[in-house]
Amino acid sequence: MDSGFVHFVEFELQIIALSWLVIFYVIKVLQLSRLPLPQEKEPRKGSPVLGALHSYTNIFIPWSMESSKKHFWRWVEFGAYHVGALIAILNTFTTPFAPGIMTQPVRWAFAILIVPAFLLGFVKLARRISRPEMRLISNPDDYFSLASVEIFFFTGIMALLLDTSVWRTIYFLITAAFLFYVPFSKISHYVYFFFAATFTGKRYGWRGIRPQAGKT
Amino acid sequence: MTLDLANKELEKKYTKLVGTAASNICAHCGWCMDSCHVYLASGNPENTPVAKAERIRRVYKQKHDWLSKVFPFWTGAKKLTEEELEKWVKLAYRDCTLCERCVVNCPMGVETPQLIAAARAALVAAGKAPEILTQLADMAISREENAELYRDYFLEQVKEIEKQLQEFLGKPDAAIPIDREGSKILYVPLSGAHTILPEAIIFNAAHESWTMSMFEASNYGVFLGDSAKAKRITERIINEAKRLKVKEIVLTECGHAYTTLRWEAPKWFGGPLPFRVRSILEVLDEYIRENRLKLDPSKNSEPVTYHDSCNLGRKGGLLEEPRRVLKAIAQDFREMTPNRLQSFCCGGGAGLVAVEEWSEARIKAGKPKADQIRETGAKIVVTSCDNCRHQINELNEHYHLGIKVTSLTELTVQAMVI
Repeated sequence: MDSGFVHFVEFELQIIALSWLVIFYVIKVLQLSRLPLPQEKEPRKGSPVLGALHSYTNIFIPWSMESSKKHFWRWVEFGAYHVGALIAILNTFTTPFAPGIMTQPVRWAFAILIVPAFLLGFVKLARRISRPEMRLISNPDDYFSLASVEIFFFTGIMALLLDTSVWRTIYFLITAAFLFYVPFSKISHYVYFFFAATFTGKRYGWRGIRPQAGKT
Repeated sequence: MTLDLANKELEKKYTKLVGTAASNICAHCGWCMDSCHVYLASGNPENTPVAKAERIRRVYKQKHDWLSKVFPFWTGAKKLTEEELEKWVKLAYRDCTLCERCVVNCPMGVETPQLIAAARAALVAAGKAPEILTQLADMAISREENAELYRDYFLEQVKEIEKQLQEFLGKPDAAIPIDREGSKILYVPLSGAHTILPEAIIFNAAHESWTMSMFEASNYGVFLGDSAKAKRITERIINEAKRLKVKEIVLTECGHAYTTLRWEAPKWFGGPLPFRVRSILEVLDEYIRENRLKLDPSKNSEPVTYHDSCNLGRKGGLLEEPRRVLKAIAQDFREMTPNRLQSFCCGGGAGLVAVEEWSEARIKAGKPKADQIRETGAKIVVTSCDNCRHQINELNEHYHLGIKVTSLTELTVQAMVI
């Protein structure tokens, strides 16, 4: 593999793809920010700050929502999948920009964390296809996003375990393609989450609804 | 033409909240599915919160999402059609009661009810909202416009209730004051003696300075999703409170009236109202804490459970107040599971209870609530919302629950030592 090409894929291409992602996110965030927000104006009962904080952290507290309490395995699955995704993203930075820390044990540890996410991706895909409720709400973007994350995970695992220039080149080419697609797909949910968590959390906090000490 | 009006209204409703809910924030994970009573009761995949939201989201996406504009088939984005708008009527008014249970169970906090509310507004603009809800909203407005016509009849009715009050308290001077300027409280009832007599007994027993509103608390403009009518109906009470120079408005046991006047009205009218707004639940809680009522819980010895109205609890924040009252007035208070923030909607919320033609679907959607009630073994169900009360009464009949449905004020009166 031509070392100049490998370097281009790992550095220049990644920077271009990341810049693309950031530009589109900034535009989208500005568009959303310009929309009006009906502000709570009445005397408050609770704390909007605590409400927003609760919304940000809710997902880490499985007993705080019936949807995670009742389906604990689904919550574990959600956690493992997102930990794997975070590590796979982190790897796109550490491999080219901090090669010193990517020792073999670290590479193996990263791979071990991504493998469950990769396997759970198939479970998610199977569920989306097999359950009528999930099929009804799924569109081509859902299937494509899930499949592209699977490819991203797989090439990441191979690049980490084998550490060859061929696998690294494939991995970073996939990463770049992924970054070009992400701002337009449902994978962007992690950006919009901060809007919803802030607005919904503030409203619940203001009205003294969340956090609340009551039992459920 | 109707499509243009609906589309315009949808755009008007495109706020930060709706814009976020209509974006790619929803990852279609399906966590919200079994939080919806309509889906649980019907098992119909089209009734999951995400499926309902998606029908509206895809119209917004077609206008605001980059990928959807270029490749609509890829994201399922679609233009609003007459046929789709027609389908929205049942989706927005029958199959979603805006209970927000999906919101508190969504890991992303997607505000699906905001999308449904936007659809309701679009349907109003297109003239497709349920006729009965429009009529009820118009009746409330007409009552203000023809206040003088109603006045004598209303006062006559109040006089009759006043006699019952005097008899109950054994005090011939006990009164239900109307139009008394300078009172501390303006109490706003619903139509019907069941939201006047118990409160009148309680206010008199607590020696409260109060007067009663000429208008009823309910606001069908809110259910319709017609913000102009909702504001107009709310404004009647605000103007009355200003005219009578009261210090606070106390609302009867009515879920949406509380959320509307306590939390929404200040947004509509540009800032905090010049008086406090409370629910009778908060007042009862205060009276009990201040020992202003003599109570004997043994008078309510049968097992009692409490149904959290979505508007009072999950949307209004009144979760602990009714429970503190119940513990003071009943001997055997039992919680439903789940309760408070996770309580199931009764199935009749957001105006559905008024639409007779959908009663079958409404009773079906109330099945999770009926099951919850049965599991408690309670003989009395207390609810602080008249819509819920009506619906639970029908659930009682249909599912043979063998319960009595009552309000918190009525049960309080039953525990009072006169």
